[in-house]
Amino acid sequence: MRPGSAAMTDDRKKNRVAGRSMPLVDGIEKATGRAQYSADFYEPDALAGFILRSPYAHGDLLNVDISRALALDGVRAVVTGEDCAFTYGVLPIARNEFPLARDRVRYRGEPVAAIAAVDLETAKKAADLISLKVKELPAYFSAKEARAGDAVLLHSDKPGNLEREVHQEFGNVEDGFAKADLVREENFRCAEVCQVHMEPHASIAEYDAERDALTMRTCSQVPYYVHLMLARCLEMDKSRIRVIKPFVGGGFGARTETLNFELICGLLARAAKGKVALHLTREETFITHRGRPYTDIRMKIGMTRDGRIVATECDAMQLGGAYAGYGIVTILYGGALLQGLYDIPNVKYSGARVYANLPPCGAMRGHGTVDVRHAFECLLDQMTKELGLDPFDVRRANLLKVPTTTGNGIKIMSYGLDACIDTVERASGWKKRAGKLPKGRGLGMACSHYISGAAKTVNWTGEPHAVINLKLDFDGGVSILTGAADIGQGSSTVVTQVVAEVCGIDVERIRVIANDSAVTPKDNGSYSSRVTLMVGNAALEAANKLRDLLVTAAAEKLEARPRDIEVGHEVFRVAGGQDPGLPFSEVVAAALVDTGTITVKGTFTCPPEFQGGKHHGGAVGSTMGFSYAAQVVEVSVDAATGVVTVEKVWVAHDCGYALNPLAVEGQVQGSVWMGMGQALCEETNYRNGMPMHANMLDYRVPSIVESPPIEVHIVESVDPNGPFGAKEAGEGSLSSFIPAMVNAIEDATGLRYTELPVSPDRLVEALAKKQHKDRIDKARGRAA
Amino acid sequence: MSEVLPRFALERPATAAAAVALHGGSENARYIAGGTDLLVNIRRGLGEPEVLIDVSAIEGLKTIDAEAKGAAIGAGVTLAQLAEDETIAKAFPALSTAAESIAAPGHRETGTVGGNLCLDTRCVFYNQSQWWRSSNDFCLKYEGTICHVAPKGTVCHAAFSGDLAAVLLVLGADIEITGPKEKRRIPLAELYSGVGDDHLTLAPGDLVTTVHLKPAALPVTYEKMRVRGSIDFPLAGVAVGLSMKGNRVETLSVGVTGTNTRPFLVEGTEAFAGEKLDDDALDRLAELVQKQVSPMRTTLIRPFARRRIAGALARRQAAALAQV
Repeated sequence: MRPGSAAMTDDRKKNRVAGRSMPLVDGIEKATGRAQYSADFYEPDALAGFILRSPYAHGDLLNVDISRALALDGVRAVVTGEDCAFTYGVLPIARNEFPLARDRVRYRGEPVAAIAAVDLETAKKAADLISLKVKELPAYFSAKEARAGDAVLLHSDKPGNLEREVHQEFGNVEDGFAKADLVREENFRCAEVCQVHMEPHASIAEYDAERDALTMRTCSQVPYYVHLMLARCLEMDKSRIRVIKPFVGGGFGARTETLNFELICGLLARAAKGKVALHLTREETFITHRGRPYTDIRMKIGMTRDGRIVATECDAMQLGGAYAGYGIVTILYGGALLQGLYDIPNVKYSGARVYANLPPCGAMRGHGTVDVRHAFECLLDQMTKELGLDPFDVRRANLLKVPTTTGNGIKIMSYGLDACIDTVERASGWKKRAGKLPKGRGLGMACSHYISGAAKTVNWTGEPHAVINLKLDFDGGVSILTGAADIGQGSSTVVTQVVAEVCGIDVERIRVIANDSAVTPKDNGSYSSRVTLMVGNAALEAANKLRDLLVTAAAEKLEARPRDIEVGHEVFRVAGGQDPGLPFSEVVAAALVDTGTITVKGTFTCPPEFQGGKHHGGAVGSTMGFSYAAQVVEVSVDAATGVVTVEKVWVAHDCGYALNPLAVEGQVQGSVWMGMGQALCEETNYRNGMPMHANMLDYRVPSIVESPPIEVHIVESVDPNGPFGAKEAGEGSLSSFIPAMVNAIEDATGLRYTELPVSPDRLVEALAKKQHKDRIDKARGRAA
Repeated sequence: MSEVLPRFALERPATAAAAVALHGGSENARYIAGGTDLLVNIRRGLGEPEVLIDVSAIEGLKTIDAEAKGAAIGAGVTLAQLAEDETIAKAFPALSTAAESIAAPGHRETGTVGGNLCLDTRCVFYNQSQWWRSSNDFCLKYEGTICHVAPKGTVCHAAFSGDLAAVLLVLGADIEITGPKEKRRIPLAELYSGVGDDHLTLAPGDLVTTVHLKPAALPVTYEKMRVRGSIDFPLAGVAVGLSMKGNRVETLSVGVTGTNTRPFLVEGTEAFAGEKLDDDALDRLAELVQKQVSPMRTTLIRPFARRRIAGALARRQAAALAQV
């Protein structure tokens, strides 16, 4: 049995490294403060960068006069849209954003010029000396305004200010609804939210004018994409660029595409012929945005009396901001992930991605699926109650049978939803407690799923999805060279545990060298929960190759056949023999004879049959495996203040196989917690395009006081595609929290609320309205 | 970070008299203690004082003197010190509750009693960066001419958001002020002007040095509403003092913060004297509070709810106190 195959899980408890709870390999640096983030590189000769941002929401940019700024003492460079005529963007088909606005500004806060100066004070003074000549245009902050017939187009090639429309039908929903005993429809409004990663954006770039070479350190989830866009926007050969990702303080999707400040930092360094540090404030980090768009949803479900879902139809409108970004993918995800969770024979989806004069949205954690899943699970709960059914039984009536292929062409090999449902039902004491809690307290449940990496990349090159290099040298140390971006989720730990397991060596012998384009293999980056499955598999292949080389060397020394050698605890011995075997150091010495330093490579490519349906947009949602989650949320509601307290969360997450249960638990807790922020109190707020929320007092991320006990249960369905059976763990649990909480509020108050977040002011208003209505109904009842 | 503090001189006098002398009533000087309010504002370009007079080294301002006749609390006492003080907890438990509820532990370690009483008024159109405010034509409170909260109006609606004042008003506190011209003692209520952009009645150079409390005449509680149980300023903070004679009200007093340009005592509560606090009376109390608070769109939390919540907090606490 080769390591990495699913059957290995049976005896995992016996000394397995892949499957053991251990602290993240880079935890010590973070806990001690030794970790260096992009803004920590204090280089005395670095110039201070500063971005001048548009005060206008929409207008033709007639002139940017930088002459007075350039004349100021201490100013080394000023760049504007004139300095870069190339658009950037993550989707090759939708690149419509310039690093610095050219001809048109489309949102308040859009960069229009940037300065590099000897210090920040000088740079800011210079910014004040730049004059903008702008012919203002009508600006639109809602879909209704932007979609109006006479609205000015934000982008001339996008009529109706529509970035993308999606119309998909799988099966026939009309027939489906005809078979239903109950059909219900509801509208949902979900506020825009954003990531608020701990580390504000920062880059430091050094331009070597003699060699025409650029080195950048930046806080990206996708250093490879940054590399590509720097080459494109600076018109430089890719070989002259080096991108390094130091420690990153979170991303959650805000950094899954190249961001304007990274390109601006590069442009400034080149213009100044030197080193430029560009540190964004929290406000600027908010403005750079890339959060989850404001979404209007109309959800319709048809159900039989016994709880079988026969059809669903969903319209979603996302207000995506001023530029395309990931928008096309986001609107497609909403529809694609209507499937894959339950067995629904008929599914129809219409999506619209609309432009407005607001900062661009992006690929926030649970990309595209969260709001749609919320709407679905809330409506399902309502219908369940209407039919007098149990919400767990309704889910059980709609389980998929795997292996299967969904209506939209996604292959599913493993499915732990049933186990997740059973687990949280039992753990929460649902059967005993549901419906019996005191007034003001309630229970709710919901389910969700998420992809383990997009099986078809947005930037298709024909290269493998992931590559890992291993280096073993005279010192007996194993270096893992990886381009996978550890942003706190633990990807460096995952590859370490995989390699240690396969090669039978101690974790301490391994070091991870990550994210330096001059040294490490290319990786697409950390997004769509792809790393554990894809990079983990590449690591597995590389480790197996290394193991084979070592086993061959050991076999020769032990005068045995390679297939008879067993490896473990840094000892190579003949299986079943009495011999003490060879220590790792001796095997390494033997393996290096004649060859010297050993380097091996492992790759992973998603086979075409996993790359999605043949329909237009079918690649979106495609994956090698879905994670599954179910959760129960218990709340108490203070009707006087509208404050909802999350008392407890029971969550079960099917991650295939937990390579590191401690890290999985952390990821699931983080997902639940982020869902809680969106559910309870997080939202952006713009007035005339001004971000009212662009600080941490007005954008209310929950504090530790709001953090509930989160009981995480790990379910292992062992996916044949995953390394040791592993699937994703960092996103899937987010979207079920929100509807579970809203369903719990309904249980506690009788109020079914359809807007997010359920902030205290909204809840107080809604409860007041309900009270008023109940009173009138009662009075009418009495009168009748 | 691209938010830089402007240059300023920092003075660190050892006595209140020296601090006042250094200030001299100058427009360009500001007192600073914990700095949790002032420094954040200065960093955002809200004011550019040339001299900061750090009063946190003045030993005389850092003591709590709890005598039998009440208490004298130095303005330099930190909020953490106040919250942890056992004599205060015993004699004025609501004050401990209020102090402990302010911001987050880090703020309470440095933030002071004087700072919380003199806290600048707050508004979403004001507490923003220089770029933000300049892009939005500034506002009435600072550098501008219009109020974005009520564009047709000519007054500033920025809300006072200090917690301690609501409790201290109910307790009938006095404050002692040392100024360039005189030392004086005034009722706390007189510290506040009710004008959002000039919310304190202090003359230039005046330094609040001490809070004086008489022994509490009645049981007091404090409760505040905020979205998060930490960090957030109060969206409505309500202190209720209630003494009962048998099952009837003897004295009822309600102090409110977070909703108006100043903290204030709700008027008309004396009318409840002699009443039983039944549901009807409690509803009337809630209504009375609702009528006198005037939350505006100075935060992103809607005024409708803040108004109702203020009333509900008064009602709830009065009901609880009546049970004791």
